[in-house]
Amino acid sequence: MLRKTALNAIHIELGGELTDFGGWEMPLWYSTGSVREHLAVIEKSGLFDIGHMDLLRLKGKDTFNLIQLCLTRNISNLKIGACAYSVILNEQGHVVDDTIVYNLGKDEYILIVNAAMGPVVRQHLIQRNTFQNVTVMDESGRFSKIDLQGPASTVIMKKLLERGRGTIEGLRYFQFRGDYADPASETALAGNIPILLSRTGYTGEVGFEIVMPYDKVQDVWNMIIDAGGSDVTPCGLAARDSLRTGAVLPLSHQDIGSWPFINTPWDFALPRGEDGKFTKDFIGSKTYDAPSSLYTYPFCGFDPRKVEVCKASLLLDGASIGTVSTCAIDMAIGRVDGRVYSVASPDRPASFKARGLVCGFVRADRPLKPGQKVTLKDSRRSIEAEIVSDIRPNRTARVKI
Amino acid sequence: MKSLEELDIRGDLVYTQTHEWTRRTGDTAQVGVDDYAQSALGDIVYVELPSVGATVNAGAAFGSLESTKAVSDLYSSVTGKVVAVNETLSDSPELVNTSPYEDGWVIEVEMANPKELDALMKSDDYLSFVKTLAPIE
Repeated sequence: MLRKTALNAIHIELGGELTDFGGWEMPLWYSTGSVREHLAVIEKSGLFDIGHMDLLRLKGKDTFNLIQLCLTRNISNLKIGACAYSVILNEQGHVVDDTIVYNLGKDEYILIVNAAMGPVVRQHLIQRNTFQNVTVMDESGRFSKIDLQGPASTVIMKKLLERGRGTIEGLRYFQFRGDYADPASETALAGNIPILLSRTGYTGEVGFEIVMPYDKVQDVWNMIIDAGGSDVTPCGLAARDSLRTGAVLPLSHQDIGSWPFINTPWDFALPRGEDGKFTKDFIGSKTYDAPSSLYTYPFCGFDPRKVEVCKASLLLDGASIGTVSTCAIDMAIGRVDGRVYSVASPDRPASFKARGLVCGFVRADRPLKPGQKVTLKDSRRSIEAEIVSDIRPNRTARVKI
Repeated sequence: MKSLEELDIRGDLVYTQTHEWTRRTGDTAQVGVDDYAQSALGDIVYVELPSVGATVNAGAAFGSLESTKAVSDLYSSVTGKVVAVNETLSDSPELVNTSPYEDGWVIEVEMANPKELDALMKSDDYLSFVKTLAPIE
């Protein structure tokens, strides 16, 4: 029996193509279709139900210490009202899950983790806790989360904030305001709905993640749809997957997982100082002393044709050197004379048409360089691709608002 | 995907179990993807087509459809020589979704054995067949 989010009836009403995602019944796309949903987030805005994700709330004087021990990211400079991407490793250096950690102040932090991972991560933290004063609460059933992503999102959110409208001005990437659990939250929507409003998301585009009490999520969804009008498009998981791939963001348990977290495009989650050494000890840190021959890279192809992940091999000069962990199509991009442009590229040539390009991540047994040509091969076909340092150009995630 | 009531299954065409439709004009068969398949696959973003002059065999794959979700083989309903391919699909693969029976046709085949068409399903039989199916992956 699949679990349903508070928005399940809305998914059905919108013609959602429903699928099993981590034990949840979630929409792959709505009747709009995943291509137009993907483009909507880059050109206007898209609204995603992220109610399947879990949330842990940590309290107590030792919360900071427990997080420093169990997350790879060094949060000693994480200010109140700021959040950061991190991974959580076990003693073998393998990824338990990835998370965004929020500093609420007063020795309180939130960890947003993936679908069904709340109990797993909570147990992981509790088992490793050597400190006295910290509690780890799984608040997954008490809240829900939706994401409004895309350049129109700022105007829409300003319209809807009953309290804290000014907090959006100048809010930077990976900053947040308010608290969904506080009736006096600095940020609240019409009807005094307290929200945690975070300038994050998993699309690579400017936007917000909105955490609110579980029983308010339908109201908030409808509010955003009404306020956004034709500037907002409900989006399913297929668009979320293709957008995050183009933005070079990993999917937990697919691009990172039960293997060493090293030599990835996400090494910024490791606490390395300027000298390359770790600035703290953490669970899993000792495993980095051993040499590793595992390297993860983004790739981009030359047309939309995909290969099957897990079953495909990564070939270099005809020899198998690894696997393909994500293979998606970013429908907003295309190549002109070999160079990749997006529908959002101001310098795109007149001949540019976004036909979509296959892209994703490969894991190789040796280092590769951007620009290097590789072949991805499954039982159906071989496709040519290029190792790249970035995929979709001209993303808006970091623009000033 | 569409419910059975919403499906557009045309009475003037014949169908395969792999969801291709065939329209006969003399000894030529026009082949495309039916409403059931396009609706189940979601947005089609690329169509891999054979060359004109290629030989296709009934029941054998001749190309593929790339949707945002997956890749699916296209199977020929008849044996013969490809005399035309729908070149507009290279630029506008979405025609398979928006007009599966007209602008989204895929290939035309000069049939080696038109009697092969007798083995394909008429619309009533095809509808009964899809009722027995779980949604295709």
